[in-house]
Amino acid sequence: MAATEGEQFLKQVSSRNTRGLLRVIILVLIAGAAVSSRLFSVIRFESIIHEFDPWFNFRATKYLVQNGFYNFWDWFDDRTWHPLGRVTGGTLYPGLMVTSGVIYHILRFLTLPVDIRNICVLLAPGFSGLTALATYLLTSEMVTSPSAGLLAAAFMGITPGYISRSVAGSYDNEAIAIFLLVFTFFLWIKAVKNGSMFWGALTALFYGYMVSAWGGYVFITNLLPLHAFVLICMGRYSPRLYVSYTSWYALGTLASMQIPFVGFLPIRSSEHMSALGVFGLLQLVAFVEHVRAQLPSKQFQTLLRALVLIIFVVALGGLVLLTVSGIIAPWTGRFYSLWDTGYAKIHIPIIASVSEHQPTAWPAFFFDLSMMIWLFPAGVYMCFRRLTDEQVFIVIYSVLASYFAGVMVRLMLTLTPIVCVASAMAFSQILDTYLDARSPKADAKENGTSDPAKVAAAVVLPDGLRSTRQPLVGIYSYASKLTVIGASAVYLMLFVLHCTWVTSNAYSSPSVVLASRLPDGSQHIIDDYREAYYWLRQNTPDNAKIMSWWDYGYQIGGMADRPTLVDNNTWNNTHIATVGKAMSSREEVSYPIMRQHEVDYVLVVFGGLLGYSGDDINKFLWMVRIAEGIWPDEVKERNFFTPRGEYRVDDEATPTMKNSLMYKMSYYNYNSLFPAGQAQDRVRGSRLPAQGPELSTIEEAFTSENWIIRIYKVKEPDNFGRDLQSATAFDQGRKKKRATKRKGARVLRVE
Amino acid sequence: MRWLQLLAASLLPLTALAAKKPSGDRFNDFRTKSLSTGNLKLDDTVYTQLTKAPRDYAVAILLTALETRFGCTLCREFQPEWDLLSKSWIKGDKSGKSRLVFGTLDFVDGKNTFQSLMLQTAPVLLYFHPTIGPSAKIDAQPVRFDFTAGPQSAEQIHAWISRQVPADAPKPPVVRPINYVKIVSVTTAVLGLVTFFAVTAPYVVPILQNRNLWAAFSLIAILLFTSGHMFNHIRKVPYVAGDGKGGISYFAGGFSNQFGLESQIVAAIYGILAFATISLALKAPRIADARAQQFAVFLWSGVLLCMYSFLLSVFRTKNGGYQFWLPPF
Repeated sequence: MAATEGEQFLKQVSSRNTRGLLRVIILVLIAGAAVSSRLFSVIRFESIIHEFDPWFNFRATKYLVQNGFYNFWDWFDDRTWHPLGRVTGGTLYPGLMVTSGVIYHILRFLTLPVDIRNICVLLAPGFSGLTALATYLLTSEMVTSPSAGLLAAAFMGITPGYISRSVAGSYDNEAIAIFLLVFTFFLWIKAVKNGSMFWGALTALFYGYMVSAWGGYVFITNLLPLHAFVLICMGRYSPRLYVSYTSWYALGTLASMQIPFVGFLPIRSSEHMSALGVFGLLQLVAFVEHVRAQLPSKQFQTLLRALVLIIFVVALGGLVLLTVSGIIAPWTGRFYSLWDTGYAKIHIPIIASVSEHQPTAWPAFFFDLSMMIWLFPAGVYMCFRRLTDEQVFIVIYSVLASYFAGVMVRLMLTLTPIVCVASAMAFSQILDTYLDARSPKADAKENGTSDPAKVAAAVVLPDGLRSTRQPLVGIYSYASKLTVIGASAVYLMLFVLHCTWVTSNAYSSPSVVLASRLPDGSQHIIDDYREAYYWLRQNTPDNAKIMSWWDYGYQIGGMADRPTLVDNNTWNNTHIATVGKAMSSREEVSYPIMRQHEVDYVLVVFGGLLGYSGDDINKFLWMVRIAEGIWPDEVKERNFFTPRGEYRVDDEATPTMKNSLMYKMSYYNYNSLFPAGQAQDRVRGSRLPAQGPELSTIEEAFTSENWIIRIYKVKEPDNFGRDLQSATAFDQGRKKKRATKRKGARVLRVE
Repeated sequence: MRWLQLLAASLLPLTALAAKKPSGDRFNDFRTKSLSTGNLKLDDTVYTQLTKAPRDYAVAILLTALETRFGCTLCREFQPEWDLLSKSWIKGDKSGKSRLVFGTLDFVDGKNTFQSLMLQTAPVLLYFHPTIGPSAKIDAQPVRFDFTAGPQSAEQIHAWISRQVPADAPKPPVVRPINYVKIVSVTTAVLGLVTFFAVTAPYVVPILQNRNLWAAFSLIAILLFTSGHMFNHIRKVPYVAGDGKGGISYFAGGFSNQFGLESQIVAAIYGILAFATISLALKAPRIADARAQQFAVFLWSGVLLCMYSFLLSVFRTKNGGYQFWLPPF
């Protein structure tokens, strides 16, 4: 707001240069604010990579820096998905790693020896400064008021909806992708406005960069064609649209096909067909326009119009036919579940199990966007005033992104930029109106309609919005101005407070390191994850295979540097289900599975002692569900619930639950912490059975300080050829039972 | 030909007898009975007869409660799927090679069976393996399928049953009848719509091109989506819930929870706030009369402040740690 006041003040006295300089300074300050508000976690904890996926990106970046680009491109990783391995170079979006690699080499060239980890940690805040700049550019294309752009940049810099994915240390694809998204949209708007092949090509270039960085590029791939299509439907076809769209589509598709992970998808999958379809439609429309200019005959035009319609329908039918016959891949599950919202829950439990794929309740919107959530519709409404080509874009983007954000929490990220742009438009409209120092004369009432330009505009645009039919007068009294400006200032302050509070409280926890408060108010750091991972790194052989639920795969690979069975890439559902089966079955069933997969250690996360709710027992039902999807006869979700349908871990837990490997590993020896019969699980809030579980095929190897991570070693087969159960019983001095009839250990079903 | 009819008539009572005293091969009897409908409608006696111990065939029985007074929507939703499945199985397996009989036992006809099985919920699908013969199982207990995952389609149950029957038995796929009525009605509707548009185009097109209409349409969509309508739709949350003291609670407790009415209230708040903003930004500066303008500005500023304050107070109830507020509320 200081910006707008400055603008108004300087308008009379100084030249354009001063104003330009001021704008640059403000933008730099905004970028500084954006970066610094993302540093909470670095200041509070340390310079550390957060969460799960960033650990893989970090590991891949290290590989890139150490082995060079070509080795990275052909990287086959045999330390994940044991024993399958993963063609990592061909199954990732390399944009993020390459970006940090380039920055690293530039800094090295400038003789600045920076650790690659620090580049990775600070990449997201750095790019958020650029995002603020891109938002300024995009907004300035939309409206004439220069203050709107600055406001939008400030909004974008500090809004929690974007900070949630770009704090220091969250080294994820979204870190650079949102900048690329906004900048690509800016270039597209520029291209459509100017009808320039140069801007179209630049759009394609950044689109290609975006494709290399994030799977969310499909949003651009569908939004730009939709924009073009709506413009055609509105009868706004122009050579400008033709030039910009075709140059973007041709070059952008070629660029996107250079990424190995994307490959031929742009011409073979349904997600990309709308872009192709609109490309074809544009050719037809351009042809018709051309002919119409040559031939004035009316009948001929009717014929042409029919021709266009028929070709369009035939092409659409052909597309459907190709899809049905399987040449064009149908929608992938992830995208399909956006439209058919019940789809993932039934067919792909692994997608439904991810918390960021859940639908969004309204508090999450307010939490992430604060007052912008109600400025947003007002801003969209203002776009309908003039409804230029670029404002149509805002409307389409708003409606689509609102829908997507409502269906999936993580897509809030794509909604945030347009919310910032639209609400900045609304807010700057208020500020511009009420900060105008000139008051209209009182007699303006009589000759209020004297302004010829306004009258002309009103005549030309009879179709305008209802609220703008009257001519613009201005604000008469200083009391009104003061009221509105004062209230706006309060709201803006509140917005800043809200954003800082949310960022500091909700989005600045690395989740690898947990913080808690001691009774005296001082901060206590819980560092169990790193403790356990470094134990693995230092006490196990270099190629010891670790089995854990897939959530921890990337962290084990990154921090412990040990091969894992499954990780967060989740490309092979069966393999994940195998791990789920091993976790949810009896020891007799799990042991052969673990031996067959050469598992040396099993890692579980247990929050019962500390009351840490994100532990494996709470995620256990997903393991069961995913395993049941592959082995419906051997793993049954029903058996984990008591007859009354409750999920319990105490005395009344079902036998299946009590005998499952996961349950045993979580609660093994847990009784010994408490007086007899007093063992208490603080997450589930239930008292545990007096007799704790016993293990025979695995043995406890390590338990971290707060018991969050427990690691077990898988025993070697017995030297005397006994099965491990009887060997353990013998060691404990128990008599061998007379062989009751017992089914042999089940073997993994391989079909 | 007369004697044939006579013979048939004289045989009629015999068929009744046959039903009472099955002639050795129970499987064929039951199978012939179920040919027309696909599955047998059972009661307590037929149920025990069908599942009696020495049995060389398998039985799949759906225990259900179809009458409206039991309020089992799942039962009623699944029944057509079940009929479809059993019918296409029986039709596809003409020779009865899979040796499987389908049955349906409604709670009204089989109270005793429900009691003896100690069933609290419906529907439940039981599968009885044969007790004698090549594919017999030692375990005499039926395999049970609970509908914990919500309504199931015929294909999903078909997959479940296919896993129970012996591997070499035929497993005829579910054949869904082509819904000609739907095809015809859809075609008619589409043609009708096209005709309608062709005829009314001169009147409709101006409406379609009306900017206010599209503005309203987009704003309503945005307000719906940002107030969590999709959450209601996907999670099927209740519209309102009681607060335990006889009243109703409008706002659900918890950050990631909401009621249907709650999201509508929030949408209305957003709508009012957005409207106040629009009025301040676009309408007020167009009011030609100074006093009217002053009044309008004060009015809309007041509405804005109150509504925003109310929104913050609602949000504070949802999120315990939130500390920001504005005067009135």
